[in-house]
Amino acid sequence: MFEIGRICMKTAGREAGKYCVVVAKEKDKEFLLVTGPKAATKVRRRKCNYRHLEATPYKIEIAENATDEDVMAAYEKEGIMAKLKIVPLTEEQMRLSAERAEKHKAAKAAEPEAHEHKAGHKHEAKEHKAEKAKEHKEAKPKKTRAKKEKKE
Amino acid sequence: MVRRSLRSRSLRKLRVRTPGGRTAQRFKGRKNAVSKCAICKKPLAGMPKVTDATLSKLSKSQRRPERPFGGNLCSSCSRRELKRRLFESVQ
Repeated sequence: MFEIGRICMKTAGREAGKYCVVVAKEKDKEFLLVTGPKAATKVRRRKCNYRHLEATPYKIEIAENATDEDVMAAYEKEGIMAKLKIVPLTEEQMRLSAERAEKHKAAKAAEPEAHEHKAGHKHEAKEHKAEKAKEHKEAKPKKTRAKKEKKE
Repeated sequence: MVRRSLRSRSLRKLRVRTPGGRTAQRFKGRKNAVSKCAICKKPLAGMPKVTDATLSKLSKSQRRPERPFGGNLCSSCSRRELKRRLFESVQ
């Protein structure tokens, strides 16, 4: 039922309700490699459990491990987009999603740096406090001497 | 003893320290009910059971699951609904 090229709908997860194509299978295993492709149906290229897919009667002819571009070409050849009423993402939507992905990556890269910075900062702060305490101790007798002088 | 009308367990109770040093109990509105699936009435997962004020401060993705029928149907009912729609559209 879930042969290579079979168009399915995802029934579970964030991408539920969206169409995808089976691109690769492993023998005697539950997981299939599946792709939308993302430009067409927002489903990314990754593995999916066959239990979270529902097969449609539609199928396209693609080779095993076909790239997303090959899948798009096969979609156009067989007019699948019209049959399933898939509206592909516009160029601007693709650009925005790529920007968002980059921002997410940059934020993740910045997080471990922030943690290191914080840890070093705490150590420095402790040293700073110790130094300040020492300064205070030295400063106090000076003040008392000044007061005594004033009194005199 | 607390007045009988205030003994309900759905009331939200707060402890307040008074200037006199006592810890007084204040009744501040009702607790929110747990969200239920629209079809099978089971309690929904991923929906925080928290006061309206706190809920309004959460981000959208913290309020409900990121899934079609996210805060409306439970996972099994939403799967069934998606399969039913696919079956009908194919025919």
